[in-house]
Amino acid sequence: MKPKIKTGRLLLLFLFAFLSLVWLIPLALTVSISMKETQEYMKSSLLAPPSNIRFLIPNATVAWNLSDLGSSFLNSLIYAPVSSSLAVILASLAAYSLTKLKVRGKICLFFLIYSGTVFPFQIYLIPLFVMYTRFNIYDTRLGMLLFYTAICIPFCLFVLHNYFTTIPDTIIEAATLDGASSLRLYFSIIFPMSIAPMLALMLLQFTWVWNDLLFGLILTKSVNTRPVMVSLMQLSGEAYSIGSIPQRLAAALIVSVPSFTLFFLLRRYFMTGFRMLSVGK
Amino acid sequence: MVLIKRRSSGNRKIGKLVTSVSPYLYIIPSVLLVSIFLLYPVVFTIYISFTKWNIISAPAFVGLSQYVGLFRESALLNSFRNTLIWTGATLLIPIPLSLLLAVGMYRVAGREVFKVAFFLPRVMAPAAIAVIWKFIYSAPRGILNEVLGLFGAKFLMHSWLLEPPLNTFAMIGTATWASIGWMMVMFLIGLDTIPSEVLEAGKLDGASERQLLWHVKLPLLKPMTSVVVVMGVIASFTMFDLIWVMTGGGPFRSSETLAVTIYRGGFVLFKMGYSAAIAVVLSAIVLVFSMIYLRRIFRHSL
Repeated sequence: MKPKIKTGRLLLLFLFAFLSLVWLIPLALTVSISMKETQEYMKSSLLAPPSNIRFLIPNATVAWNLSDLGSSFLNSLIYAPVSSSLAVILASLAAYSLTKLKVRGKICLFFLIYSGTVFPFQIYLIPLFVMYTRFNIYDTRLGMLLFYTAICIPFCLFVLHNYFTTIPDTIIEAATLDGASSLRLYFSIIFPMSIAPMLALMLLQFTWVWNDLLFGLILTKSVNTRPVMVSLMQLSGEAYSIGSIPQRLAAALIVSVPSFTLFFLLRRYFMTGFRMLSVGK
Repeated sequence: MVLIKRRSSGNRKIGKLVTSVSPYLYIIPSVLLVSIFLLYPVVFTIYISFTKWNIISAPAFVGLSQYVGLFRESALLNSFRNTLIWTGATLLIPIPLSLLLAVGMYRVAGREVFKVAFFLPRVMAPAAIAVIWKFIYSAPRGILNEVLGLFGAKFLMHSWLLEPPLNTFAMIGTATWASIGWMMVMFLIGLDTIPSEVLEAGKLDGASERQLLWHVKLPLLKPMTSVVVVMGVIASFTMFDLIWVMTGGGPFRSSETLAVTIYRGGFVLFKMGYSAAIAVVLSAIVLVFSMIYLRRIFRHSL
């Protein structure tokens, strides 16, 4: 009997290959145009390929200096990794304590922290602004780090709490009987076992912090503290436009480099982290 | 060899104190950070929503009249209407489409590669996506208009981001491009949870692909569908970055949504009470959906 290399399947394959390419067109065009010199951009069709891809470098260089994109890129390079790792670690300590140690009011404490995921961001804006100005942490790197860490904790706690409940208590009991302190227990047993979910969470939160615009707008105003998306907005947002189109598109690409890099290098962990968003199982 | 540390009785008391207190030490940093930066603000916003305040002078208490006033303002009603359009569009367009894509893609060879192509926008910043699509929609010279020109459809050319309500729909198009990827991945995860025995049993009973889809796969995807719906709806209510960068809510506030109005009210106009009240209303709506999400999750694990 003839094997069913279903033509249907083949058609689907071509369909999805085609759709995927269509989906990538906006990005492809962005890359293409960011490689065009301004004159070439003005004169040739937008859809035409660049004549020399090397123009990406001057475009990117100009973009880096426009609107202090470079400085804010470095700011975000501090905010994203620091706050996401700190949040994951703090959340794991809290989750460890809530699941494995003797604590009164576990459920209350858990929901207290978890409720940080329930409200839309808009409800935080005004109070944070007022608080930050009043306590002189407005427009400071410390202020940004504190906020970004705080907002990453609730979801991380939720996931790790879930995860730790799957670690058998017998391991804990055995170690305690051997005289391990709770801290040693954490470092020798819990922490090594949770590298995968912690890494996945870190990636997810890194991306969130890196991509943030709203809180960067609210809580900073100067170049030394501004996160990268705020600068990008100033390059190309409504009511601002600096630089030529190829340069602005180059800026959009520059700004996406860290996320893309992490995604392509650690895709598996990324997907695991994303999977955690759909928890219900 | 197991070594049991011997403690002298004085140290034993301290040891016991440490053991009983240290669990709380692990939690305190998280509790502190979340309480100060996330929980206290909620209370403060609610308080401010009952006042008129411009930051400079002291807040003036006006009570519920602030909320009543909201319903009278036409710009705000327009903003609310736009928000509903966003939410409705999210429900009608990307969610069904991504479901369809996921079902179609499930058994296709090279699935992982296609997944990446669709999922990529999820990794990008909304602000960066906005910059790119702003250029696509730019008029008179932009990618969309140029493509239309190529196909001889010059009459279809528009100032996509400048003509209401076209500008809202254009942005919804961008958001669709950005969200179909992650929604599709979610549905793929959901499809993974369908036991193959169920599908095989169906096939043995002689069910066609379409019958399998309609009677088996879709019903079993209901949990994931509700997750995607809740996430999508909440995202549509709170979407700020994309709109702010693409149109700033304009021109003339025509494409504002509640999220944009909240920001603009507080940080451009410095009408703190006004902004806070809208934020409270928005939060109440979003909370309804969050609760649905929460109930689903905690029904299983508590």
